Amino acid sequence: MHKPIEIFCGTGGVGKTTLATSRALFLSSQGKKVLLITIDPAKRLKQILKMKDEDAGEIASISPDTFEGFDSSFDALLMNPSSTIQKMGEANNTFKELDNRIVKVLTKPYGGMNEIMAIIEVQFHLKAQKYDTIILDTPPGKHFIDFLSGSQKIKHFFDKSFIEIFRYLGKSFGPKDSGEKKGFFGKIVKSGVNKLLSYLEKVTGETFVEEFVDAIIGLYKNKDSFLMALDFQEDLKKEQFSNWFLVTSVEQHKIEEASELQAQAQGFMHKDSFLAINKCLGPYIEKWEKETPDSDMTHLRNTMRDRENKLKEFAGKGYQKVLPFPEVFHSAPANHVSELAKSWSE
Amino acid sequence: MKDHISNYSLQHFIPSSPLARLIVVTGKGGVGKTSFALALTKVLKDQGHKVVYNNFDQPINEDLLQKVNVDHFQLELIESAKLYISKKLGSEIVASWILKTPFFKALFNMLPGLNQMILLGHLINMLEEDPKLTIVMDSPSSGHALTMFEASHNFKEIFKTGKIVEDIERLHNFIYRPGVLKTILLTLPTEMSLQESSELDQSLKRRDIADNHIVLNDCYGLNEEVVNSQEELPEFLQRKVNLEAEVIKNPENNLSFAHSHCASNSAIDVIQNMVKELANSKEDNHA
Repeated sequence: MHKPIEIFCGTGGVGKTTLATSRALFLSSQGKKVLLITIDPAKRLKQILKMKDEDAGEIASISPDTFEGFDSSFDALLMNPSSTIQKMGEANNTFKELDNRIVKVLTKPYGGMNEIMAIIEVQFHLKAQKYDTIILDTPPGKHFIDFLSGSQKIKHFFDKSFIEIFRYLGKSFGPKDSGEKKGFFGKIVKSGVNKLLSYLEKVTGETFVEEFVDAIIGLYKNKDSFLMALDFQEDLKKEQFSNWFLVTSVEQHKIEEASELQAQAQGFMHKDSFLAINKCLGPYIEKWEKETPDSDMTHLRNTMRDRENKLKEFAGKGYQKVLPFPEVFHSAPANHVSELAKSWSE
Repeated sequence: MKDHISNYSLQHFIPSSPLARLIVVTGKGGVGKTSFALALTKVLKDQGHKVVYNNFDQPINEDLLQKVNVDHFQLELIESAKLYISKKLGSEIVASWILKTPFFKALFNMLPGLNQMILLGHLINMLEEDPKLTIVMDSPSSGHALTMFEASHNFKEIFKTGKIVEDIERLHNFIYRPGVLKTILLTLPTEMSLQESSELDQSLKRRDIADNHIVLNDCYGLNEEVVNSQEELPEFLQRKVNLEAEVIKNPENNLSFAHSHCASNSAIDVIQNMVKELANSKEDNHA
């Protein structure tokens, strides 16, 4: 069953993007309206769907003749943090505040804000309710955890300490805050902030501190958009709201990596999730064993079979829903997608 | 007829001549970066070089390190940041106070590029202090490696003036000096992976990082048993090997080296296989 959000996660090189794309293709062939979003800065999606760098940040409609044997179409989006910031400026009428040099540098494609801005981007599309399903292709391993913990970071970012800094600087950042805090406590905070900023200035130069505070105020005025991400996180834990696909593949070390990631991601996902095993060679190896029982490559063959078995064992332990996908022997990425799309079923 | 990829010669990759100061091992996720970085460190060590492995911001596998038997060091972000700030302000106490403020904690969390720049700066300091040292860095995967290399440029733009900018310039002067930085782009022998690597190569070159080497990992067609087998390969394996051959034969791919698929499911065997192949590659080249 498809859900409003479907998340493909896993360690690197297991075929997350290809598999997520095949899922989008399959669901669209079932008549669903699908948006596929990739957060991974490696942008494999671009390669698979023959999109251009300029397309980043804009929804592209994938033409029905892209994949052999399928004639359905879906939408795709390459994450671009600066477009997300722009959307946010439009939504909250904070264009001017976000037009800040520091904000611009940080939201460049490799500025490092990708994971956090992605949560905001997904929110916009969920709210617009244009799609039956939004499929998320996430960055590998550690950076996927960064994505998941993004909303927690946002919460810390808008921590009280910032408000104190703005107060000190006499900047207004919202209608509810009525200027300076009175009394002894206020003075302590004030002198602490004073010291902190003077140290910061020593290391970073004078112009920076002023611009930096402006950047933070710009972000602060969009606080609500950021804090919506916290609700999103809660929603992801609901079984009726999301499908989680932990993707792994039958290659060296992948099992250890997958179980590590699973342990880290457990707090974020719900119990009813899928394990997708990609690049399975099982049936091929069986056939080989039947046809040539005494091969002179038995050592190689045995290690290949052991790997398949180990993965099956891992799957049997934690997952009720295991989806095997066979290895595809094609060089063109589009062929991989259409072959894999045939393996999906509702 | 078996079409073995071992028949195609590659421009040989010699890890030690000339020996770079900082060797960054990157490539898309899950291609074996850690195995390769450890194997390369081991080969350089066996050749008598002073070399250490660094895991950068990745989790470390102590057990594996011990088995491979190479020197390593681990950086801790907060410690590196404290060291830096206390040098700048001349006080350790002030530095640790600053880093304990929620403000700075939140700042580090929101800006992964800042973390990476501090860690990279720490590595460069070590290299400057010890001219004989080489560091093999097990770096984040492709896209995030670009974030790392771009961080110093971005923060230079952000800060404009002040002590940090002076230090960023020092870092750039060091890194962009010829012969200092070598980047290994590890990849799998499929067209998709290769395309990603050459894109990364080009992105790095646009940022003036030019000494890049594309290395293939996990080639079934180079596996000893496959090479020596007298039989026809089973169809699926033949197709796999053919796809590998397409990649290797294409001169546009400009490959430096290829590792065989190691028939073992133990991490240490895989690393030792790489050590053997890297060490032999040097001999080949002398012959």
